[in-house]
Amino acid sequence: MAAIVPDTLQGALIVSVIDFFLSFLIISGIGVVLSFFPLLNRVAKFINAPKAAPAPKSKAAPVARKPAAGAASDDIAAIAAAVFVAMDGAPYRIINIEPSRSRSAWVVGGRIAQHSSHNRSR
Amino acid sequence: MFDQILTFLQALLAQTGAVNFSFGNLLMIIIGIVMIYLAIAKHYEPLLLIGIGFSCIVANVPGPPDVPGGPAISALLYSVKDGGLFHYAYMGVEKLIIPPLIFLGVGAMTDFGPMIANPKLVILGAGAHLGIFVALILAKVLGFTLSEAGAIGLIGGADGPMAIFVAVKLAPHLLGPISVAAYSYMALMPMIQPPIMHMLTTKAERDISMSDVRKVSKLEKIAFPLVIAIIVNLFFPPVAPLITMLMLGNLLKEVGVTDRLSKTAAGGLMNIIIIILTVAIGSTMSAEKFLTVQTLEIVGLGLLAFLFGTGSGVVTAKIMNLFLKVKINPLIGSAGIASVPIAARVSHLVAFRANPKNLLIYHAMGPNLAGVFGTAISGGILLALLGAN
Repeated sequence: MAAIVPDTLQGALIVSVIDFFLSFLIISGIGVVLSFFPLLNRVAKFINAPKAAPAPKSKAAPVARKPAAGAASDDIAAIAAAVFVAMDGAPYRIINIEPSRSRSAWVVGGRIAQHSSHNRSR
Repeated sequence: MFDQILTFLQALLAQTGAVNFSFGNLLMIIIGIVMIYLAIAKHYEPLLLIGIGFSCIVANVPGPPDVPGGPAISALLYSVKDGGLFHYAYMGVEKLIIPPLIFLGVGAMTDFGPMIANPKLVILGAGAHLGIFVALILAKVLGFTLSEAGAIGLIGGADGPMAIFVAVKLAPHLLGPISVAAYSYMALMPMIQPPIMHMLTTKAERDISMSDVRKVSKLEKIAFPLVIAIIVNLFFPPVAPLITMLMLGNLLKEVGVTDRLSKTAAGGLMNIIIIILTVAIGSTMSAEKFLTVQTLEIVGLGLLAFLFGTGSGVVTAKIMNLFLKVKINPLIGSAGIASVPIAARVSHLVAFRANPKNLLIYHAMGPNLAGVFGTAISGGILLALLGAN
């Protein structure tokens, strides 16, 4: 390839001026390209985001609702016991409602066995 | 009988190098010793200076003439002759095999995160290259051809492999002194740069601390070598071999699935190349070749290029501060001269000495890495304008 600049001092000045300013221009261009790099993270985030589940076509099965925030725990226990008696027909009465305590499974099992030891078999 | 013994002893002496020892050899041996001293005592780039310094010393211990009546030749130069070990080592430099492999290793060692994280600092990679053009113009004034002047100017890019690459294309006969000047000044940057940096900055400016930059994701680091390789191959084919290898090395590092390859490129392969390169460069430093007016002019111009490059980088950073809301420490401007990571380390150390709470190394790496591209761009334009093959 032939040189396109004359081999003189003026040629050296021309080469220097062109090269210096082009270097600035090009490296600024690289800087601009780099400033867009954070967009890659957004694109990756968008691609990897979990897709929303499609709406079910069939009727949804009933789900137990969380009790209303204002409901007292003793009310809930009383209602639960009443429902159990009504549904099962068991000869129980609600005597006392108290916060549950952690008990040994053996103790609980023994107490149930004692309470039910004289029941007639159905 | 006495005469016979004397004749034998004289004949024996003539077969040693002692009779051929010159003042120039002594001077070059002292230079070699200083290089080794700086490497060991001051830790100035020991990887480069030990090999160059040692080879410089040995290349200046003359042996007997190669042919009767011919010039004395050192043992090292025997190995540089056709067929010798370092002949092939030097061919690796001359045939442009070694420079791309160096860039492969550099890419595998380099984290381009600081450059990606702070794109505005890449401008410093161009700003710190005024030295190239000062040296180019002065070389022309001294009577070098424009191609030679271009090759000499690129010493100021402070990028050894790139200086070799451009020298082989533009002025292959000057490869020896240009590579010596480039690598020696790169190693001596801790001595060359600080005085200029102090001269051009105030205490308040050196105290400027810089806030943390954002974290760069793995995706960005993988995209970077791909994007840059495409840009460089598209717009700068003359220097594409080097930058492409740099980007390949970096991709091997960043993908995380080619650890074996990146460790080889950055470790064993790079170490072998450093040994070959430093000995090949040092072996060209024999007094009869090195102590010529032309070589000394090249070495002098190289020093001026480094000084002006350092200064222009600092000044560019100061100019940027006129427009920036959050000021940058102008000391990182000098790192734009390339020479990764030596120049960044110098910026960090000068700032650290001014204010021990100021840790600039990460910030300085941005312009430092941009400097590699700045040198490549300048070299590519020179090759295009000056008609290299």
